[in-house]
Amino acid sequence: MTLTRGTKAALIAVIVGVMCLVLQPYFAWLGKWPAAWTFPVNEWLSSGVGAILDLFKPVARGLSWLLAFPMDGASWVLGNTPWPIVIAATAALGWRLGGWKMALLGLFGLSFVLISGYWAQSMRTLALVFVSVPLALLMGLAIGVLAFEVPRFRGAVNATLDVMQTVPTFAYLTPLLFLFGFGPVVGLIASAIYAAPPMARNVLLGLERVEHDIREAAIMSGGTRRQQLLLVEIPAAGNQIMVGVNQSLMAALSMVIIAAVIGGFDDIGWEVLLTMRKAWFGQAFLAGSVIVVFAIVIDRMSATLATQRQHYDAKIGWIILAIGAILAFVVRIDPAEIALLDGVADVVDTSVGAFTAANGAALDSVKNNAMFYGLLPLRIGLDQAVLPFTWGFQWQPSYSLWFFAAAVALAGLCAARGRMLTGLTILLCAGILETGIADLPWPFVLVGVCAVGWASGGWPLVRLCAILLGLILLSGLWERALLSLYLSGAAVFACAIVGGLLGFWAAVSKTAWVILRPMCDLLQTIPLFVFLIPVLMFFQIGEFSAFLAICLYAIVPMIRYTRHGLTTTPDDLIEAAKSSGANTWQTMREVRAPYAAPSILLGLNQTILYAFAMLVIAALIGTTGLGQSIYLALGQADIGLGLSAGAAMAILALIADRLVQGFAEERRKALGL
Amino acid sequence: MTDKNSAAPAIAVEGLWQVFGEGARNSLQKIGTQDTRDTAAKLQDQGLIPAVRDANFEVQSGELFVIMGLSGSGKSTLIRCISRLVEPTAGAVRIDGEDILQASDKRLIDLRRNKLGMVFQHFGLFPHMSVADNVAFPLKMQGAGRSERRARALEVIKLVGLEGREDAYPRELSGGQRQRVGIARSLAVNPDIWFLDEPFSALDPLIRRQLQDEFLNIQATLKKSIVFITHDIAEALKLADRIAIMRDGEVVQIGTPTQIVLNPIDDYVREFARDVPKGRHMTIGEVMEPVGDGPLAGEWPELRTGMSLEDALTQCAATFEAVPVKDGDGKVVGMVRPDTFVKALGAEAT
Ligand SMILES: Nc1ncnc2c1ncn2[C@@H]1O[C@H](COP(=O)(O)OP(=O)(O)OP(=O)(O)O)[C@@H](O)[C@H]1O
Ligand SMILES: [Mg+2]
Repeated sequence: MTLTRGTKAALIAVIVGVMCLVLQPYFAWLGKWPAAWTFPVNEWLSSGVGAILDLFKPVARGLSWLLAFPMDGASWVLGNTPWPIVIAATAALGWRLGGWKMALLGLFGLSFVLISGYWAQSMRTLALVFVSVPLALLMGLAIGVLAFEVPRFRGAVNATLDVMQTVPTFAYLTPLLFLFGFGPVVGLIASAIYAAPPMARNVLLGLERVEHDIREAAIMSGGTRRQQLLLVEIPAAGNQIMVGVNQSLMAALSMVIIAAVIGGFDDIGWEVLLTMRKAWFGQAFLAGSVIVVFAIVIDRMSATLATQRQHYDAKIGWIILAIGAILAFVVRIDPAEIALLDGVADVVDTSVGAFTAANGAALDSVKNNAMFYGLLPLRIGLDQAVLPFTWGFQWQPSYSLWFFAAAVALAGLCAARGRMLTGLTILLCAGILETGIADLPWPFVLVGVCAVGWASGGWPLVRLCAILLGLILLSGLWERALLSLYLSGAAVFACAIVGGLLGFWAAVSKTAWVILRPMCDLLQTIPLFVFLIPVLMFFQIGEFSAFLAICLYAIVPMIRYTRHGLTTTPDDLIEAAKSSGANTWQTMREVRAPYAAPSILLGLNQTILYAFAMLVIAALIGTTGLGQSIYLALGQADIGLGLSAGAAMAILALIADRLVQGFAEERRKALGL
Repeated sequence: MTDKNSAAPAIAVEGLWQVFGEGARNSLQKIGTQDTRDTAAKLQDQGLIPAVRDANFEVQSGELFVIMGLSGSGKSTLIRCISRLVEPTAGAVRIDGEDILQASDKRLIDLRRNKLGMVFQHFGLFPHMSVADNVAFPLKMQGAGRSERRARALEVIKLVGLEGREDAYPRELSGGQRQRVGIARSLAVNPDIWFLDEPFSALDPLIRRQLQDEFLNIQATLKKSIVFITHDIAEALKLADRIAIMRDGEVVQIGTPTQIVLNPIDDYVREFARDVPKGRHMTIGEVMEPVGDGPLAGEWPELRTGMSLEDALTQCAATFEAVPVKDGDGKVVGMVRPDTFVKALGAEAT
């Protein structure tokens, strides 16, 4: 009998797992990686990188001093321009970009900001974005063009961008904090660095996609290389580059708000953080809404750049601006005194309070059930999670035996029916559930991941996985990494199932997509930070809230990609299936689902990356593991810990990314796409 | 053109090879090019792609030279070698006697700005520029001033029949109109040598015929040296002064349309010529016999050696009497004239 790669990999994992379980009582080092085998990586990094960064410190401080000018300038201008003019300017810009719709969006969006009472803070945030985005766009453009022009760099640039995408947001901040010192400039630079990769990626993609004939037409017209690039290729790639501008703007906004945790700048992110810490949920909700409104206005307006645009008369734009200027003379109300929505905040506060008071028991039981029967066993295993307090009885070692025996029987049944892989997977799941992810023996994780890597991408991927996981082991961050793995794994699992089902639903029902689509759009526009507010309101600080926040954020790609994959099956395939007599469900199962597999896998991949990104933010409301370490390191300005924990997090994300990509690639090849 | 070069052919291609893949040049040098087939086989064994194999031909000034071949036979690659859009692996290309493969980058830009024009299969229009800006782009590269550019652009736009659309954008045009823009752009600097890579393939048959006719009109007045690629034998026969047939990167036959149709060198070429209505491309001179002692006196239709077989047949048929047509029972139900016959079969009377 020949085994498929996947089956062999699963078999290896099972064998190693069983060996670990059996031998663990005799060799303690099989369970936990001994502390004696780790290196003081944190200290090395602290002193090593610290020394290097020290060299750059003068330059950095100089830069910081320089950047303070445009930032203070923008901040002063925005802060001192009368609000009618700012609103009118936004509406006028909206008009130019997308006609009445965008003008109204700008008008209502900023009016909401005004009456929320957070005008001044919002303008400070906006000032940061205004200064950081041009920097990011320039860097991104330069990197993208360079990578395109010098093919030798392309691989390296792409790899760097990949890594930058997986490095958690907070991890950027610690070294920057060290270099630039406390203050808003750190947020500025962090957001410029964070926002540059999407731009670079889209520039490169856009340039690569310029049609061959267009490129050659420019050459044959006798343009020099520079003329070709500036006059033809970059403009021809314009739409894709504008997609980059849009993504870059959103990334910058998100990072500016996250950077508020450093403090020192009274912007809207800081306001959210402050009110959240004080548990003033009404105000936090209001400030969070301001951020969301900002995000929507910026996103929708800049998205029009990437579409085929009509021309909207500049005159009307000037008229709108003039009206704003006149209003500025007539209406002289200090925005700080406008806090029309404080009442709303109070209402939110009291109603949330009333709701939690009235449904406290129900909410608690949701939370406790999820914790006791889902998260906790996954984390520490049935053997420790089943207690009289949680499940009503105490887990005995003999239960483990029965549990395993049942799993083996089930697996044997599957194997006998020729479903070897399913059987082995059942065994693996049973083992993980009994032991708990946080308590998994390291040889099992190492070998298991490598085996999956082998099934997904062959030996090169095995090598990558082994080296990267080895690094985590040696750095002594292994246990924290497992904790992070557990929480993100649980969230990804939940997202995959719920998101997959929702995506499926959206694929078969138009109404469903009409409902889900705006929700997905909204969830994808909201900066990471804001997700924490609603979960905190109802479930307080804790792992379950973190889990929910991660799920809320990470579920979107799963829905989108599943639907996309299922709805884009070529018509001729579906017609061929129909004419063979397949009914709707058979078509779905036999044709659409296999065809959608690569797309769904890509969705899963995105969901994983999103989950890791949110995991770090969720450290703010109580998670353990790497996210917490990164957050702590930021607070203590501990570069060593910040870097190593950030790197470990990036490693986990990178490995997950490569594994899933490998499978998606294989599926694509199998389908001949 | 200087006098010195006026005798040289517009384009001369000698022993041209284009091999794609890592280290192609070294491999080709090592293997040598004595036997084309053998060399190509060895290159392929190494995983290289010999897209053009030992091409040799000349295009005379004012000649319309058509390159024909199946998809993937290396036509585009050959034309890209001549215009040096790709760097040939071996061989020589001379344009008006000048070895273009030795030309510096600066010289190359100069040549492209002034002497070469190219039309692309998928038009290659700049999406962010209006029709006029597209057409004026080569002039802009030449450094012409704005008003001068606009004037010249309008002139060529008129030549290709797109007057009034000069401020439209490519996305607002139909396929045929887009290719007119492509043609106008390539003519803007009034090049001496004109490359067209399957310019009409992406268009539907009616538009294609129309553009072919207009193309012939333009060529009749401009008299450029042209390399025209197509995979459509009818198009080749209609346009060409001479045709080169390519297969698997090799030029297998070069000749006038008649030579290609009447004396195909091998089955591959014959296969191309198979569907060609011979009556339209063979002349009566090619089938006539020497004058013996046949009945040559009397009233005969006017036949000339240059006449196509179809025309001659129509003329001959006109001299016959009408023939009766009977139904199944042998009753006469009508009559038919032989020349109606011939016309009905597709030959047109002249
Ligand atoms: N840049 C390249 N790299 C590698 N191989 C190439 C490259 N360009 C062309 N080829 C190969 O060279 C061969 C000839 O291609 P070419 O485009 O010249 O064909 P063609 O005759 O123009 O075909 P078509 O009628 O489809 O345009 C093909 O096998 C093609 O795959
Ligand atoms: Mg071609």
